[in-house]
Amino acid sequence: MKTYLFSLLVIAGLLLAACAAPAAPASAPADTAAGTAAADTAATEAATEAAAGTQAAGDDLLADILARGVLRISTDPAYPPQSELVTDATLDPNSKCSGDERQAVEFTGFDIDSAVEIAKRLGVEACFVTPDWTLITAGSWSGRWDVSVGSMTITPERMQKLYFSQPYYTTPAAFFVHKDNTTFNAPPDLSGQKVGACSGCTYDAYLAGTLAIPGETIDFVVTDVDFVGYDTDTSALQDLALGDGVRLDAVLTALPTGQGFLNDGKPIKQLGDPVYFEYLAAAFDKASALDTASFQAKVNEVIQAMHADGTLKQLSEKYYGTDLAAAAAEFDIAGLEQ
Amino acid sequence: MSTLATDPSDKPSRYDLTQLDGQRAFATRLLAADRRARLLQRAKIGLVWLGLFAFMGWLLYLLNINFAYALANSGFVLVGIWTTLGVSFVSIAIATVLALFGALGRLSPHALAQGVSGFYVSLFRGTPLLVQIFIVYQGLPQIGLQIAQRGYPDIGNLLILTAIQSGILALSLNYGAYMTEIFRAGIQSVNSGQWQAAAALGMGRFQTLRMVILPQAIRMIIPAIGNQFIAMQKDSSLVYVMGVWEVTYRANRVARKDSMYIEMFLVAAAIYWILTIISEWMQARLEQRMGHADAR
Repeated sequence: MKTYLFSLLVIAGLLLAACAAPAAPASAPADTAAGTAAADTAATEAATEAAAGTQAAGDDLLADILARGVLRISTDPAYPPQSELVTDATLDPNSKCSGDERQAVEFTGFDIDSAVEIAKRLGVEACFVTPDWTLITAGSWSGRWDVSVGSMTITPERMQKLYFSQPYYTTPAAFFVHKDNTTFNAPPDLSGQKVGACSGCTYDAYLAGTLAIPGETIDFVVTDVDFVGYDTDTSALQDLALGDGVRLDAVLTALPTGQGFLNDGKPIKQLGDPVYFEYLAAAFDKASALDTASFQAKVNEVIQAMHADGTLKQLSEKYYGTDLAAAAAEFDIAGLEQ
Repeated sequence: MSTLATDPSDKPSRYDLTQLDGQRAFATRLLAADRRARLLQRAKIGLVWLGLFAFMGWLLYLLNINFAYALANSGFVLVGIWTTLGVSFVSIAIATVLALFGALGRLSPHALAQGVSGFYVSLFRGTPLLVQIFIVYQGLPQIGLQIAQRGYPDIGNLLILTAIQSGILALSLNYGAYMTEIFRAGIQSVNSGQWQAAAALGMGRFQTLRMVILPQAIRMIIPAIGNQFIAMQKDSSLVYVMGVWEVTYRANRVARKDSMYIEMFLVAAAIYWILTIISEWMQARLEQRMGHADAR
């Protein structure tokens, strides 16, 4: 009898739920929104807020941002020293960040400081969301965040989905050889040698002679290498450190990555000057429902000012120990067709 | 009972079984021996667990874990439990409703209902959960935008879900598809004679289902739902791709900060394991309750 009663209760529960959600599959988003309210009221608040935002504040993104007083920035705290977690942050109870968003104090890093400074100069609070990198580069953000300040390299593929700002710093690509090597004096000497790099990345494309970086003319000084592909740059550097020519003659990687490895006491050295620069910029959603033009112009203006007054140089020296921003100030954003 | 046979002190000849007292004493003796055997078995199993734990501890020792670091950062990861549990609970609840309707559709004589539910199960069981999450999070808003541009902004905006909502929707749809089969099997496990008997009493199809079939089927279904819930707790970690700060995301991003991968993944693993053990215990209790009718 007890079991029967209990079964009835369960069924009653099911039927109740069913009545509350007629034809559940068809109208699932609405039900889900209701369901979430129980689990996370803040999320629902954010949804209504976002919905209200897209409807109310005209069709200009900058006006929308200024009206809400919050700049929503995407970041992924998986990449120190660009962005990493602060696990013991004290949250500001007066923050305008919604429950779905994170406050600036919860992160630290070069990207974070740069983004916070951009928000500050816009006169709004910086709030962060942390979607996967794939979702950021895919575009179509649906107004969930306004801008990506995530060390994103300007590439032709990404330009199909995103607009880019004036770069705020660069990643110089440099060759590294084993410390004991004496035969290579400059990057062109590496032609025909065994060179390692991450497969599928820009270093791979440079060595193959196919790399194209928007707004930059690339000089392919190293040709016909015996390319060895790696999953990550670090594995390539580790193979290089085994000895001069043991597995690799050289590695092409980001200057900061190579220098970091070198600073850990590994037996490698940089060969010559960087062979090209990757420009890292803030990105905007091309598919945005709101017009991004005035916001883009404003961010460009802010970043140029941050170059001019040395803010970005200081931040770069703080986090990378070297000025990676200088070359970015020279980039002609107006000349970039986007 | 084999232990009883080997124990000479339990021979009936020691008791006067013609007398009630003797019978009682013998029965008490038998019961005590039975309890002892069960306790012994439990102790043995406990020893095996202890041994396995020791072995695991040795492996961890070989991994050279920084336990102090793991402990110091476990608090930050633990906060994610509420998100993990919240997402799992809401999703399993919606999935259960979806599954009930799915199963009714699959067992329905109507072509439309059968077709819709069959298609639903096939599609959502046949595609990876992660892909579904991406499509719900990225694809739905784009459809919503198109609808909004065609003059229905209210409907369009409904499709722009937050990260947590997208995760719950994808998990519900996915698990609903798997659980549809559980519900279908549960309903079909009830003897078809029951349908005939109910029909003979003049009960309609829905009435029979509600009052006769489902109360019996639910006994088969509930344990399976518990099992799905346990699985969902782990699958819910996939919502990290949208930047939802649940257990795995928190552990992973802390690990990235200090390059303490093994430490933080072990913290996450331990949290999920403990959650599962609690869920298993609750499931066992629920099954015990559901089994009352059979135990009698």
